[in-house]
Amino acid sequence: MALSDTSLNVQRGSFVSIVGPSGCGKSTLFNMISGLERPDGGSILIDDRDVTTRTGQVGYMMQKDLLVPWRTVLGNITLGARLTRRLTYDDRRRAVDIAQRYGLGDFLHHYPMALSGGMRQRVALMRTLALDHELLLLDEPFGALDAQTRFEMQQWLLSVWRESERTVLFITHDVDEAVFLSDRVLVMSSRPGRVVDDITIDLERPRTLGTLTSAVFNGYKSQILEHLHGRVGP
Amino acid sequence: MKSRLLRNVLGSLLSFVLVMGIWQAIVVWGQVAPYIAPRPLDAFRAISGDWSTLWPLTLWTLRETVYGFLAGAVLGVVFGIVMHKIAMLQRVLYPILIVTQAIPIVALAAPLVLMLGFNLGPKIVIVAWIVFFPVTVNVLDGLTHVDGDLLTLARVLGARRWRTFLVIEVPAAIAPLFSGLKIGATYAVTGAIIGEMAASSGSSLALYQHNANANLNAAAVYGTTLIMTAIGISWFLLIVSLEFWATPWRRRVTARRRRIGGKHK
Repeated sequence: MALSDTSLNVQRGSFVSIVGPSGCGKSTLFNMISGLERPDGGSILIDDRDVTTRTGQVGYMMQKDLLVPWRTVLGNITLGARLTRRLTYDDRRRAVDIAQRYGLGDFLHHYPMALSGGMRQRVALMRTLALDHELLLLDEPFGALDAQTRFEMQQWLLSVWRESERTVLFITHDVDEAVFLSDRVLVMSSRPGRVVDDITIDLERPRTLGTLTSAVFNGYKSQILEHLHGRVGP
Repeated sequence: MKSRLLRNVLGSLLSFVLVMGIWQAIVVWGQVAPYIAPRPLDAFRAISGDWSTLWPLTLWTLRETVYGFLAGAVLGVVFGIVMHKIAMLQRVLYPILIVTQAIPIVALAAPLVLMLGFNLGPKIVIVAWIVFFPVTVNVLDGLTHVDGDLLTLARVLGARRWRTFLVIEVPAAIAPLFSGLKIGATYAVTGAIIGEMAASSGSSLALYQHNANANLNAAAVYGTTLIMTAIGISWFLLIVSLEFWATPWRRRVTARRRRIGGKHK
C-alpha cells in the first residue's frame, strides 16, 4: 500500500504543493484524483461531485511534455478536446486565445520539434488549461528544465494561475519551488505514505526574486526541510 | 528548400553518370566481348530500337508491381494493427510470418503459377508476399513504441480507446509505416519478375530477356535489366515523395496550412 489513510481538502482557487521523498505516494494520490486508480476506501469529490474512478474530470500535466510531434502547437493545445470529441471551430478559437494570451501567439503553427524545452512545457500547460477543468494536477512539470528557465516558468505559471482562476495541485521535489508558488505546502513521508505537515505559506503576492531571499521564505523552507531530512544546520 | 531539391537531383544525376562510367570503363578497358556485356549506350540503343514491343511489357510489369505492392501494403498494415491489438494473435502469427519470409520465394513461384494461372494472379501474390512483411514489422514497431505516458495522459483526459488509437497511435505509426513501404518498394519489382519467370509462357519482360539471352543478344539482356531497374526506382521515388508529403513535421518548422488565428505574415 503506497498511501495510508489520507484526508485532504483543497480550497477552490488555491495553489497547493505536495513535497515528499520518492515512494511517499504522491503519484498514487494523483492517480486516484485523476480517476486512474480506485482508492481502497473513501472517495474523491470535486465541488461535491463524486469523481472517484472517473477520468476526464481534471487537467493533468507531467514532467515529460508529451507533445505529439505531428501536431502543431495549436493542434497540441486542442489535443485534449480532440481525444474526447470532434473538434469545433470554437475549440480552435479558444486554443488560439489562450495561446496568444500566454505568449505563444507567434508559435501557433510551429511543430514541437522547433521549440525549446521551456516552450514545450508552456504548450503542455496550455493543453492542460484548454480543457476548462477546475482542478489542475501538475506532476513535477518543471523537473527537467534548467534553473534559469525554471524560474521564468514558475513566474509564468503564477500569472497563468492568477488569471485563469484555477485550483492547482502541484507535486515537486524542490522545496524552494513549493514555497515560492504555493498558498499551502503539504509535506508527506514515506512508508506508509501520509501527510505529516500542512503549512500555510503567508507570503505576499505577486512574488518576485526578492521573495526567494526573504527571511520569512527561509523560515518556511527550513521548517519543510526539517520534516524531510531531520534537523537542518548545526 | 528549393536549392536542397536541386542538390538532391544533381546528386542523383551524378551517381547515374558515375555508374554508367564505371560500366563503360570495365567493358572498354577490360575488352569484354559484346556478346558477354554491351556498352551502356548499346544497351540503351537495344531497348529504344524495340520500344514498341517493350513498352507494353513494361506497363504490364509495372501493373504487377503496383497491384502487388498495394495488396502487400494493405495486408501489412492490417496484420500490424491486429497483432498490436491482440497479443495472443501476435504470439501465434509472428512465427508464421517469419516462416513466410524464410521460404525462398523462387520455390514458391512455380506452385503459385499452377494454382493461379499465367495471368496477374500469381505475380500479385508474390509481390504482396514480399512487401507485406517489412510493413507489418514496422507498423507493429511503431504502434508498440508509443510513449506509455502519452496513453496514460489520454486516459486521464477521458479518451476512449478507439479515439486514442486514431488520434495518437495511428499517426505515431505513419513514419515507421513509410520505412516499411520503402523497403517493400525496392523489392516489389523483383517479385514481379520472379513471377514472370515462373510463368514461362505468354509475353513479359522476364521472357523477353530470357529469349534475348538465348539469342546471345547481350545488349537487349542488359537493356531489359535497365527497364526493370527503372520500374523499381520510379516506384521507390513515388513512395519517398508520398512520405515527404505525409510527414511534414519531420522537415518543417511550421505547418503550411493556416486555418485560424495566428499572425499572418
